Amino acid sequence: MTDDASSGHSQADTLNELFARPQFSIPQPEKELLLEMELSKLVDLHRQQCGPYRRITDALPHRPSATLADLPYLPVSLFKSHLLSSIPDSQVFKIMTSSGTTGQAVSRVVLDRATADLQARALSSVMSHVLGKQRAPMVIIDTPNVVRERTSFSARGAGVLGMLPFGRHHFYALDDDMRLDVPGLCAYLEQHSGEQVFLFGFTYMVWKYFLQEIVASGTEVDLSLGVLVHSGGWKTLADESVGNMEFKAALWNATGLTRVHNFYGMVEQVGSVFVEGDDGWLYPPNFADVIIRNPITWAPAAIGEPGVVEVLSVLPRSYPGHILLTEDLGVVHGVGDPDTGWSGKKLEILGRVPRSELRGCSDTHAHDRIAS
Amino acid sequence: MSPTVSQGAPMDPSGAAESLPRVQRLLPDTGMTPLDAILGELALAPLCLPFGEERMSFVVDAARSLSKIGRGMPETQALAFWMRKAEIIRLAESFAGLQSDEVLLMPRGTVFHIPPANVDTLFVYSWVLSILVGNRNIVRLSSRATSQANLIVSTLNSVLASHPGVKATTSMIAYGHDESITRTISASCDVRVIWGGDATVQAVRSVPLPPHATELTFPDRFSMAAISVSSYSALSPPERDRLAEDFFNDAYWFDQLGCSSARLIVWVGVEDASRYADDFHSRVRTVIRDKAYTVDTSIAISKVAQAYGTMIDAEVTGYSFYDNSMTVLDVAAFPDDRGSFCGAGFFYQLQVSDLSDITGDIRREDQTLSAFGFSPDSLRDFAVALLGRGIDRIVPFGQALQFNRIWDGHDLLQAFTRRVTITKSSRVVGQ
Repeated sequence: MTDDASSGHSQADTLNELFARPQFSIPQPEKELLLEMELSKLVDLHRQQCGPYRRITDALPHRPSATLADLPYLPVSLFKSHLLSSIPDSQVFKIMTSSGTTGQAVSRVVLDRATADLQARALSSVMSHVLGKQRAPMVIIDTPNVVRERTSFSARGAGVLGMLPFGRHHFYALDDDMRLDVPGLCAYLEQHSGEQVFLFGFTYMVWKYFLQEIVASGTEVDLSLGVLVHSGGWKTLADESVGNMEFKAALWNATGLTRVHNFYGMVEQVGSVFVEGDDGWLYPPNFADVIIRNPITWAPAAIGEPGVVEVLSVLPRSYPGHILLTEDLGVVHGVGDPDTGWSGKKLEILGRVPRSELRGCSDTHAHDRIAS
Repeated sequence: MSPTVSQGAPMDPSGAAESLPRVQRLLPDTGMTPLDAILGELALAPLCLPFGEERMSFVVDAARSLSKIGRGMPETQALAFWMRKAEIIRLAESFAGLQSDEVLLMPRGTVFHIPPANVDTLFVYSWVLSILVGNRNIVRLSSRATSQANLIVSTLNSVLASHPGVKATTSMIAYGHDESITRTISASCDVRVIWGGDATVQAVRSVPLPPHATELTFPDRFSMAAISVSSYSALSPPERDRLAEDFFNDAYWFDQLGCSSARLIVWVGVEDASRYADDFHSRVRTVIRDKAYTVDTSIAISKVAQAYGTMIDAEVTGYSFYDNSMTVLDVAAFPDDRGSFCGAGFFYQLQVSDLSDITGDIRREDQTLSAFGFSPDSLRDFAVALLGRGIDRIVPFGQALQFNRIWDGHDLLQAFTRRVTITKSSRVVGQ
């Protein structure tokens, strides 16, 4: 550690420090200094490497940046309308795309080796914080089909595939018709009794195809040594008025599962996953942060005040996705205590910004399209 | 061989016997109704000569009722005003001018209207013009109709009760994603009118019409406003305020998504316009505040995305994000951005020294030019230079959304009628 942070840190130093220190351990003021340093460099890097990003930041009114909130953000939908790359074509390792319903534009995220590696390292360090260093037996709450067709990956498939390295002896709990294999699950848990079991699935699938089926089958399933990681959003469950509290209570009642971690992240910032801490709030890892913006003034919102979620991450180097204005609503409930193992802002996601019905002459009855 | 048009039974290209599709009828009676019953009844309804007494009096009565319910709904009031007696008489007179001893104008038959889902009043304009010239009408309404549209339909329903002769000639229906219904109705119409975006026009267009039928399409458009710098500089502050209010009405009524609402402001003159532009913006913002116009968060975010996208695609020389309700993006050249649009107060701004400087940039999609401060001659020269390549109407500020029987280059009254000619024989016919 140098004593003069602004001059003493090379880019690698700051980044290495964020990786080297235990996740969720850096006190918020110190973290903001480190991120501000690193993200300012990323702003410069992307301005040099990405023409579209430079054009945008040139057109924006110049603002001296003193804090994280002063750094320019991009609306995340820009990755749907434009291909934004900060690397020469020859260095493109892969282009990730977001899920999207048919006919909707998808995000395209350009990765080089270095950024893909950073993402993988980041995810790994977050996962080891949740699961420990040892790879545990892993139950995937999905069908094996989801990763079978490697050529046509769904976002769900990519999510599952990204998690597989963190477990061993993979067991897919659902069959091809999305039915829970209850005897198979019981046998698997029997085989690994006394061990920590890692479970991963998408939130609504855990609820609908796993938990509800276990309850319906009346089978005793003991997951008291399990660790569940789930992600994918609450929209479907919110429609059934199921929130995180109900979700966890129902899991505990049915299986004795106590360690449940919701993940919040997006394809535009892979690796920078926010993890649900013991108190139920989502925490950004060392290399990420969140700012809630008031949707009228766009200034940072006060603690407890809901607004639009802006996510910041030092990982994106091959594309200018380091600071993004999402289309999610959230609220920050203060800052965690490093002593609890959960430092950083306590984020709650309130759902998507409601889409308003547009008026006007266009967009009329698109439903005349011949059904395919 | 004469093309026969099925007037009653729905066509079933597969030949398989299927249950009759039912649609939600909203007018004249309400409830789920078999489509063939609706089309059958309609086929029996009589046509009448254009501007018949009965139809005119229905429209005038409807205007009166709409104006009563229209309090607090400026779009409904504008509609009622447009349908008022004096206006209908004017319309009848100008229409009469199209006829002569040798040219008779006759109804075309059944007109199928497909209005946009999101302009609450447009279906009435299209329908009223067709009613007036004596046609039968079937109107497809959005199933996600707004409360304003519902109120209008129920008002029309009650007015129709006292106009039985008109009642039988109209059906307004709603149905979901069902191309077969569009197909059935199309097969029994004589004119199809498609209002709405390019996607709708394309989708409906692929559905066949009877060989004799005609079609009017109103696809996506782009509109702009032009202000003469010298004329603006000569305005007094109250006059500038009035201009700003007119501009607000043109731009914000349908959240700037009406096809005639300006998306581009062109300042025309050699003197630097920036201080006048700033002055105008601040006056428009005052109107926005006075009218308590607000923007939903999702739209506000898409406005930011639209602005940033433009910064990538065009040369943006200035970005004024005043607040969620007004964004102005100075561009160095005419923006080639006529595609998807966020609306809700997002303006490109350009300065040119002469109106003719933008002639080369005008395209087919460009519909309305709202103009302030130009001589009639210069506007005419501009229109002539375009040779119909774009810009279908030039209007003063405040009239961009005013509906006219001539729309997008079509005279609707003419399009809804056929011309029957009688050529007089030169021979003298004996007594």
